[in-house]
Amino acid sequence: MTTETDDGTGIDTDPVPDGGTVTGGEPGPSHEHERTGNAAVNWMESLSEAAYAYLLLLPAFALLTLIAFYPMIRTFVMSLRANQTRGLDPLGGFVGIENYIDILTGNARLARQFLDVGLTSSFPFIELGTPLFQQALFVTLAFAVISVVVETVIGFGQAYVLDQEFTGRRWVRVAIILPWAVPIVIQGMIFFLLFQPTVGFGSDLMQSLGIFSATPLANSRDAFIIILVADIWKSSAFMALLILAGLQSVDRSLYDVARVAGASPWQRFKLITLPLVMPALLVAMLFRTMDAMRVYGLIESTAGCTTVPSLSCLVVEAMFGGTRIYATAAAVAFATALVIGLIIGVYVLLFRDTDGGMY
Amino acid sequence: MTAASDVAGIMHSDGDGPSIQQALWDAGLDEDIRVEIQTVVSDSAARMQTTQSALEAGRAPPDIHMMDSGWTVPFILRNQTVNLTEQLPDETLQYVNDNYLEASLETARAPQGGDLHALPLFPDLGFTLYRQDLIEDAGYDTGGWATDPPRWEEFSAAIRDARDQAGLDYGFTTQAAAYEGLSCCTFNEVMTSWGGAYYGGADNLFTAGDRPITVDDQRVIDAIRMMRSFIAGEEEHTLDGYPQICPSAIVQWTEQQSLNPFAGGEAVSNRNWSYAIAETGTEDAFGEDLGVMTRPYAVSQQEAQYSDVGGTAVALGGWNLAVSPFSNREEEALQVLEAFANREVMLTVFRLGGFLPPNLDLVGDVDPSDVGPVARYADVVQSASENAIPRPATDLWPEQSALIYQAVNAAYRGVQSPEAAMNDLANELEQSEAEV
Repeated sequence: MTTETDDGTGIDTDPVPDGGTVTGGEPGPSHEHERTGNAAVNWMESLSEAAYAYLLLLPAFALLTLIAFYPMIRTFVMSLRANQTRGLDPLGGFVGIENYIDILTGNARLARQFLDVGLTSSFPFIELGTPLFQQALFVTLAFAVISVVVETVIGFGQAYVLDQEFTGRRWVRVAIILPWAVPIVIQGMIFFLLFQPTVGFGSDLMQSLGIFSATPLANSRDAFIIILVADIWKSSAFMALLILAGLQSVDRSLYDVARVAGASPWQRFKLITLPLVMPALLVAMLFRTMDAMRVYGLIESTAGCTTVPSLSCLVVEAMFGGTRIYATAAAVAFATALVIGLIIGVYVLLFRDTDGGMY
Repeated sequence: MTAASDVAGIMHSDGDGPSIQQALWDAGLDEDIRVEIQTVVSDSAARMQTTQSALEAGRAPPDIHMMDSGWTVPFILRNQTVNLTEQLPDETLQYVNDNYLEASLETARAPQGGDLHALPLFPDLGFTLYRQDLIEDAGYDTGGWATDPPRWEEFSAAIRDARDQAGLDYGFTTQAAAYEGLSCCTFNEVMTSWGGAYYGGADNLFTAGDRPITVDDQRVIDAIRMMRSFIAGEEEHTLDGYPQICPSAIVQWTEQQSLNPFAGGEAVSNRNWSYAIAETGTEDAFGEDLGVMTRPYAVSQQEAQYSDVGGTAVALGGWNLAVSPFSNREEEALQVLEAFANREVMLTVFRLGGFLPPNLDLVGDVDPSDVGPVARYADVVQSASENAIPRPATDLWPEQSALIYQAVNAAYRGVQSPEAAMNDLANELEQSEAEV
């Protein structure tokens, strides 16, 4: 912002009679003022495309700084102080990165840990403090990776179907998109009731198939699978919608050309559809990954955060669990933001050269 | 003040009908003071979050917060409540201290100094409900059970036989999901009835830091093994002499899910709160066939190692009223609390909402036709109040509670042996206590 003003002032005092030629004929007190305005306009026009774009983005960045970065910095500062469960002051003295050490070594004052692995001297050199399905970082990453991959594949298939012309297409579209219209809590209740032995048939069925234990909602591994399936059931529709938008923008004549050239269906998919849909696909995957990384509502309304702890679960439990451990809550929240940031970073790095230029 | 819709619905009435507000005025509250309710959800954890947000932000109104007896103490320790011992008239304090249920008062006092910081509005107690008709048909005499519960062995045999004879799906349903209700209440009761304790007896409930941790004691482990027997029959980590009577689904059940099969006539017995008596004891439900008692036991109080444990046990729930120190109307708020400590007000709350009066002597004073089935069991309520065991609700309790219910739930499910689960838990609790 400061540079901008400086530049403006510089141009203002510039003797070059740029703006003056236009308004020069009109004398009066407003003369100086209009000269300034025109100078600013001219300065903006002389900017390169990129610089101009950044200039227009400035207000948005300012807003983002205020509502996103400032709270994050505050959170970080809070996370460097001690917990204080008694007294009016919610935070104790400065403790440096102690809270981070605690959450990364499985010693945080939480019922479920962020990460709980120790190093050993023998192969495989790490040991688990608690089962993997009870560690928030693992649960969240596994959930994000599996759900996004499966949803992308299913969503692609659904989008392909929706893109075809056939009778009854309208009904199929409705059927595919319907789960997306279900609110999260209702979605959670559906799967919760499905696996309540007195209500749904889910437990008996899955148990007789030997896949689940008798009480799947109390078993971390079973409940993880239930939540995964619930999410895939619902969110595949979202992927299908975004991919469909990409598919429909593909120029049909390209396929005709390919056919004439003798390309097989697989070649047509690989060489035409996929590259052209890729930008839309990546945006869809990025959105889903971010969503999956902060999963909370679905878990809370199905098996509960105790059985399937996600990163967001830990933040909520630490913040509102009852025992005042705000510093730990802040550390978990900041670490969660870092993890999500890292994953977004991976997307940006991996796909920056992709045709279509995601960013 | 804050309240859920159940209390909000009876605070005011249309026209001249009875209401809590009218009773408060009749009890001498200034006619200019009208209690406005800020309705909150009924879920206790969510209500704690609402209260916490308001008090951490120093926001008022609400001038009076309705706090669960399970999480009043943390707010007291954070200086977020007004000291009632300093502010209420001596006469009121005297009445409260002499007549209110002592276990409820303990959840509303500052652990250091013992000053009263909240006024119990109503206590709640955990009862064991059973089908008297089915158990009698199976050849057991339940005559004395109401105030003199049987031992667990007799109880479980009776439930098994009654279930088999009546051809029901379930015997005994209870709550054993990994949630607060397990650590505060159902497991606390079972453990106490075995003579076990979290922190070496009832004397150490409210003083975190320097107290023994006794969750790995043999009594506690036996209590878990018995529950394992109830769930799994003869299996690993179970106890001889206790048949399978609970569906394995109890490890993912909370109150309503455990009540449903019982209310639907598919179970012989259910452990639940007083509202369940009101729901299943009416004439169009089980009527007089509904038996109510406190928990069966395994170790009598005389045989128990620690103070005030062993014998029958009843978990203590319920709600307290605390005045916000940030209120601009503290004077008025204190007047409202003063008016609540009144016989007629308590009876009005009981009659209109079915909430037990904190002075439990009053339960017998009302006509059962006025308040529903609960009054029929006045003697059980009385005996329950004598055997009430509060949870150790310190500022660390929410954190420790989560550790406890996870460990107990894992042991119930059999994924960890009771010994291993309790040893791990003891270490974790030790770490937590060291933070004080």
